[in-house]
Amino acid sequence: MGDGSNLLVIIALLPFIGALVPGWMIRAGRNACATFTAVPTVLALVMLGILAPDVMRGEVIQARFEWLPQLGLSASFFLDGLGLLFAGMILGVGLLIILYARFYLSGDDPMGQFYTYLLLFQGAMLGIVLSDNILLLLVFWELTSLSSFLLIGYWKHLPEGRQGARMALAVTGSGGLAMIGGMLILGNIVGSYDLTDILASGDLIKSSEWYLPALILILLGAFTKSAQFPFHFWLPHAMAAPTPVSAYLHSATMVKAGVFLMARMWPALAGTEAWFYIVATVGLITMVLGAVIALFKDDLKALLAFSTVSHLGLLTMLLGFGTTAAAVAAVFHIINHLTFKAALFMTAGIVDHEAHTRDIKRLGGLAKLMPITATIGTIAALSMAGIPLFNGFLSKEMMLEEASHTYWFENPWIVPALATLGALFSVAYSLRFIFHTFGGPVRDDYPHKPHDPPFGMYAAPALLVVLVVAIGVMPFLADNLVAVAASAVAGEALHPHLKIWHGVTPALFMSFAAIGGGIVLLLIHRPLDRVWIAAPRPEAKAIFDKLLALLVGATRWITEVTHNRSITRYLAIFTVASVALGYAAWTGGGMSAPSREMLPVPPLVGLGFVLLIVGAASVVLFHRNRFRALVVLSIIGLMVSAGFVYLSAPDLALTQISVETVTIMLLLLALHFIPKETPRETRVGKKIADGVVALVAGTGVGALAYAFMRRDVDTISGFHLDNSYAGGGGNNVVNVILVDFRGYDTYGEIIVLGIAGLIIYALMQALLGGPAGRKLRNTDFTRDLSRDRHPLMMVVATRVMMPIAVMVGIYIFLRGHNYPGGGFVAGLVIAIALLMQYMASGFAWTQSRQRIQYHAMIGFGVVIAGLTGAGSWLAGKPFLTSAFGYFEFPPIEEFELATAALFDLGVFLTVLGAVMLMLFSLSRIARYAGQSVNLEPMDYDPADRVKPLEGGKE
Amino acid sequence: MATDLQTILPELILAVYAMLALVGAVYTGKDNLTGPITWLTAGLMAVLALWIGTGSAGSTQAFGGMFLSDAYARFAKVAILIAGAAVLLSGQEAVARRGLGRFEYPLLIALATVGMMMMVSAGDLMSLYLGLELQSLALYVVAAMNRDSVKSTEAGMKYFVLGALSSGLLLYGASLTYGYAGTTLFSGIIGAATGGEISLGLLIGLVFVSAGLAFKISAVPFHMWTPDVYEGAPTPVTAFFATAPKLAAMGLFARVLFDAFGGAVGDWQQIISLMAILSMALGAVAAIGQTNIKRLMAYSSISHMGFALMGLSAGTALGVQAMLVYMAIYLTMNVGTFAFIMSMERDGKPVTEIASLNQFAKGEPLKALAMLVLLFSLAGVPPMVGFFGKLYVLQAAVDAGLTWLAIGGVIASVISAFYYLRIVYFMYFGQTEGQAQAPMSPAAWVALMGSAAIMVLGVVNLFGIETAAAQAAQALVN
Repeated sequence: MGDGSNLLVIIALLPFIGALVPGWMIRAGRNACATFTAVPTVLALVMLGILAPDVMRGEVIQARFEWLPQLGLSASFFLDGLGLLFAGMILGVGLLIILYARFYLSGDDPMGQFYTYLLLFQGAMLGIVLSDNILLLLVFWELTSLSSFLLIGYWKHLPEGRQGARMALAVTGSGGLAMIGGMLILGNIVGSYDLTDILASGDLIKSSEWYLPALILILLGAFTKSAQFPFHFWLPHAMAAPTPVSAYLHSATMVKAGVFLMARMWPALAGTEAWFYIVATVGLITMVLGAVIALFKDDLKALLAFSTVSHLGLLTMLLGFGTTAAAVAAVFHIINHLTFKAALFMTAGIVDHEAHTRDIKRLGGLAKLMPITATIGTIAALSMAGIPLFNGFLSKEMMLEEASHTYWFENPWIVPALATLGALFSVAYSLRFIFHTFGGPVRDDYPHKPHDPPFGMYAAPALLVVLVVAIGVMPFLADNLVAVAASAVAGEALHPHLKIWHGVTPALFMSFAAIGGGIVLLLIHRPLDRVWIAAPRPEAKAIFDKLLALLVGATRWITEVTHNRSITRYLAIFTVASVALGYAAWTGGGMSAPSREMLPVPPLVGLGFVLLIVGAASVVLFHRNRFRALVVLSIIGLMVSAGFVYLSAPDLALTQISVETVTIMLLLLALHFIPKETPRETRVGKKIADGVVALVAGTGVGALAYAFMRRDVDTISGFHLDNSYAGGGGNNVVNVILVDFRGYDTYGEIIVLGIAGLIIYALMQALLGGPAGRKLRNTDFTRDLSRDRHPLMMVVATRVMMPIAVMVGIYIFLRGHNYPGGGFVAGLVIAIALLMQYMASGFAWTQSRQRIQYHAMIGFGVVIAGLTGAGSWLAGKPFLTSAFGYFEFPPIEEFELATAALFDLGVFLTVLGAVMLMLFSLSRIARYAGQSVNLEPMDYDPADRVKPLEGGKE
Repeated sequence: MATDLQTILPELILAVYAMLALVGAVYTGKDNLTGPITWLTAGLMAVLALWIGTGSAGSTQAFGGMFLSDAYARFAKVAILIAGAAVLLSGQEAVARRGLGRFEYPLLIALATVGMMMMVSAGDLMSLYLGLELQSLALYVVAAMNRDSVKSTEAGMKYFVLGALSSGLLLYGASLTYGYAGTTLFSGIIGAATGGEISLGLLIGLVFVSAGLAFKISAVPFHMWTPDVYEGAPTPVTAFFATAPKLAAMGLFARVLFDAFGGAVGDWQQIISLMAILSMALGAVAAIGQTNIKRLMAYSSISHMGFALMGLSAGTALGVQAMLVYMAIYLTMNVGTFAFIMSMERDGKPVTEIASLNQFAKGEPLKALAMLVLLFSLAGVPPMVGFFGKLYVLQAAVDAGLTWLAIGGVIASVISAFYYLRIVYFMYFGQTEGQAQAPMSPAAWVALMGSAAIMVLGVVNLFGIETAAAQAAQALVN
C-alpha cells in the first residue's frame, strides 16, 4: 500500500472529520465557520491533485481495509478516471457552494448546522465515487439520502420544504433499499463484492439467469436517485431547499449519483438488449418529458429542476446506448452539464436573493439592473441550449450524432426524432430563461429592487462560466480528463478527440432544427402557455399522493379483513393455516401402501358409530340450549367409552367413563349460574363459512388418523408389554406406565391437578368478594327451581349406593396394578359417589357432614406420592424407582405389594380432593346466589306427613 | 446428578429466586416491594448473563441429553437475560406510574425468562414443551396484568386461547414425531429423520411442531394475536413481548429444525421460507395503515421475524449466524424504541397515537434524534446497524440459492421503510403540534440513548457479536 492509497483513505474521511468542526466554529462567527468548512474540502482537493497525475497516466489507486469480512464488506477504495472526475466535481463544486452559501444564507439561518450537513453529504458522495466495494457503496448511497433529507428539510418553516424532503427521502431511500437486493445478487454471481472483481466479470454477470432481476433492482436505485421517469417528480419538489443545496445536490452531485452508478457498472451490466431497452428508453422519455415541462415552469428553480431532469435523461440515454462513443459523450456531457447548470442555479439564487422572487412572470429587464449576473446567466443558458462556442454544444452534438444512428425496435426514426425534439425544447426553455428574466424592459414592480450582489456571491458562478467558454472554444483542454474517465467507464482505453467542427453530419442538421424550432417555440410561448395551463395533465405530486393514499387504503383493508379483532376470525385463520400446512406435508411426504386390513363392522358397532355422529351433529344443532347440548355431549362420551371397550382398552374406557361422569356433573352444576342459551348467530354466511372450516379441520384430522391407523409402525408398546410384569410387577400395562415407567409424569400431573383445584378455589374466593359476587347476589335464580329439589327417591337411592360405590372404588384401586383400574379411576369413582350425595341432598347438608378438608386431601396425596418416590433414595435408587415383592398371608393367596400402590394412593387422594374442591367452589357460588340452604336431607320429611295423619285419628 | 444440576445451575438459581421472592413478598411488603424486587430481578439476570457469557466454553449436556448447554444456548441466553433485564429496568418507572406496580410482575418475568432459557437449551421434545409452557403461562398472565382495562384482559384472553390452540398443535406434532421416531430426544429424532425421504408421520409432526412454534414467534399465518396483544397489554409488557420471548422462540425453532430435523432441511426449508416471505410482506403492508404506534410495532415485529426466518430458511451455519445477529440487533433496537414508547404521554396520560408525535423534535431534539436513528435502523437503512442485520440474512438467503426470497425481502423492506420514515416525518415535520412528551426515568433514558448509540457505533465491528454468533451457529449446525 503506497502513499497514494493512504491519501485516498484520508480524502474519503476528511469531510466526515470536517463535519465535526462547523458546529463549534459557528461561535467564532460566520466567516470563520465558512473558512473552516472549506479547509477539509480544500485539503481533499489538494490531495486529489497530488494523485491526479498518476490516475491520468491510467493507474488505479487502491486502498483496502477489512471491515466485516464475513459479510464480504470491506472498507476499500479505489480511484480511477471516473472516480477522479466525480471526486473532483464533488469537491470543486462543494468548495464553490461553501463560498456561495456564506453569502446566500441569511443571519437567521443556523449556519453551523448547514455546513455540518453539507460536509456529511460531501463525505457520503465522495464515498460513493471512491468505493471499491459495492456494499460500502450502498452504505454511502443511503447516507446521501439521509444527509440530503436533512439538507432539503433545512428550512423547517416552509411546508413545501417538509413535503419535498419527505418525498425525496421516500423515493430515493426506497430505491437504495431495492438496490441492496441487486447488489447482493451481483455479489453472489461474481463471488465477490469488490467492484474491481465485478467489473472484470461482465460476461459472467450477463450470462447469469439472475442478470435481469439484479439489473432491474440496481436500476431502480439509479433511476430514483437520478430522477428518471417515472420517478422524476421528486426532484422539482425538493427544490424548496435553499439554493446552495439545490445547486449542489440537484444539479452537480447527488442526482448524478445514479448516472455515476450506471457508468460505474457499465462494463458489468451494459451492452445487452435489456440494458438498452430499459435504460435508453427511460432516458429518452425523461429527456423529452423534462424538457417539455421545463418550458412551462414559471419558477426559475422549477425550470432548472426540470431541465436537470431532462439532462439526466440525456445522460441515461447515452449510457443506455451501450456504445463506447456514447460513453465518451456521456462523460463529456457530465462535465459540461455540471459547469453550466451549477452556474445557472447560483444565478437563479442570486436573482431570488436580490429580487425576492423567482417567478419569471414577475421578472424581466434584469440585464440592465444586474449586468454581471445577467452575463453569467446568459452564457450558462446558451451553453445549456447547445449554442456553438459553448461547451453544451459540443456534447449535445455528440449526443445527436449517437442518436442519429440508433435503432429502436428496428425503427431508425424514433430515437433521432425524439432526441431532436428534446433538444428543441431545451433550446426553447434556455432562451426563455435568458429573455424572460434578463431581457425586456425594466419593470417597476419587483418585490425588491435588484442590483448585482457582492463579489463573493457571483465569484463562484463566474468561475464556472469561464470554464464553460474555455471548454467551448478549446475542447482539447478536456481531452485528457474525458479520455481517462471514459476509458474507466468503458473498461478499455479510449482516445477520443473533442472538436468543435465535425463536418456536415446529420447531427449538425438536427442541431439547426433544434435551435430554429426552439426560437419559434419561444416566440409563440404566450399562446402555448395558455394552452398548457388549460390542458389537463397528470400532476406527478398529486399522483404520488393519490398512490400513497391508495396504498394506505389497501393496506387498511387487508388489515381490517384479517385483523378485525375478532377471535373467531383468528381461530378460523389459524385452523385453516394448520390444515393447509398439514395438507402440504401430506402431499409432500412419501406414503407407503396401507398395510392393515379394515376391521369388520358388526351391526351393533355400526349403530354406535352412527349414534356418535348423530350426537355430534345434534350438539351443533342444539347448542343454543346448553342443557340439551350437555345431555347430548354425555351420550357422545358414553359412546366413546363404549368404543374403547369394544377395542379392548378397558383402562381407557374406565377412565373415560368416570371422567365423563364427573365433568358432566360439574358442568350441570355450573350450568345453573350461566345463561341457559348461547347467543344467536344470525349471519348465514358466517355460519356457512365457520361450518366449512370446522368440516375441513375435522376431515383433516380424521383423514390423518385413518391414514396412520391403516399402516404398521414401530411403536413402543412392545417394550412396555415386555417389561411391565418383569420390571413393574403388574399385568396392567397402562397402570404400570402411569405409576412406574412414567411415574415422574404422573407425579407432575397430580401436582398440576391439585394446583388446579386450589386455584379454582382461590379464584372463587377472590371473585365472590368482588363485583362478580355482588352481581350474583342480586340475581334471582329462584324462578326455575323445582319445588321438590331433593326428591325422596334420589336421597334414598344415593344413600344406599354410597357404601357400594365406595366399595367399588376401593376394589378398583386395589386391582389397579394388574387389572383395569387404579388410583385415578378410583378417585373419580368415589368422587362420583360423593357428588351424588351433593346432588341429592344439597350442598349444605352434605358439606356439614364432611370431616376431612379437601385441601388436606390434596396435600396428603401429593406428599404420599412424593414420599413414596423419595423412599427409593433409602434403597440407593433414583427418585421414584418402584419396588415390589410377593407376600403370602394365609389364608389369603399370594399377593403382591408394590411401592407403586402407595404412589397410587397419593394419586387417588389428590384426584378425589381436587374434584371435590372444585365442587365445593361451585357450591359457594350457589350459596352466594342466595340459594336457600337445606339442613334436612330432603325438602320435606315423609315422616312429617305421617304425623298429622296420626294426629287426625285423635 | 450433581453435574446435571451444575449444568442447569443458572436456571435453577433464577427459578428458586423467583419462587422465594414470590413467597417472601406475599408475607411481607407485597406491592411496596415492587421497586426493589424489579431491581433485584434485573440485577440477578444481568449477573447470570455475565456468568453464562464468560463461563465455560464447550458443550455439556444434562439429564441424558434433555438439556444442552452449548455456545448456541449461551449466546441466546445472554441475549435473553440482558434484554429482559433492560426491559424490566427501563419499564419500571412506567409500570409504577400507570399503577401496575404489582410485585408479581418482575417475578413472572423472571419465571418466563427461566422458561426461555430452558427453551433454547432444550434437547428433547419434553424439555422443549416444559420451557415453552413455563414461558407462555407467565406471559399469558402479564399480558392481562392490567386487570381493570378491558383491552388488556381481552388481549390476555385472546393470547391464551390462541396460545393454547398452538400448544395443542405443537403437542400433536410432538407426539406424532415421538410415535414415528420412537424417542423424544432430538439426537434420536435426527437419526430417524435423515436422508431425502422422511416418513409421513415425521413430516406431519415436523409441520405441526413448526406451526406451534411459528405462533410463538408470530410468523404469518399464525401471527393474528400479535397486534391485539401488543396494543392491549400495558406498554412495558409489550416491550417485553417484543424482545426476549421472540429470541427464545426463534432460538428454539432453530434448535428443533437443526438438532432434530437437521437431516431434512429440504423438507422444512419450504415451510420456513414461505412463512418468512409471508411475514415480511404482511408485516410491511399491514403496518402502513396503522395509527397506533404499538400496533405498528407489532406488525414491524412480524416483519422482522420474517427476516430472521429468512436467515433460518437458508439451512446453513451462515443462516443461523445471520439469524442470531439479526435477532440480537432486533432486540437492541426494540429495547430502545420501547423505552421511548413507554414514556410517551400527553398531559400525564399515556398515549400511543403516532399523530401525537407531531413536531416532537422541537421540544425534545435529543430524544427525537435517538428515535430517528432507531427507526432508520429498524428500516434497515445504511449505515445504521440494522442494515447489517438485513444484509446478513439476505446474504445467507442468496448464498443458499433462495434468491427469490431475498428479492421478496428487499421489496418488503422498501415498503416497510415507508412507515418508519413516516414516524420520523411526523416527529420532525408534523403539521400541527402533537403535544406528546416523553418524561423518562434515568434507566429508560439510558436504554433509549444506549441502543441508539449502539446503532451508530456498532457499524465499526458490530461489537464483535458476529464471532460469537458464528461460534453459536457452528455449535448448532454441526
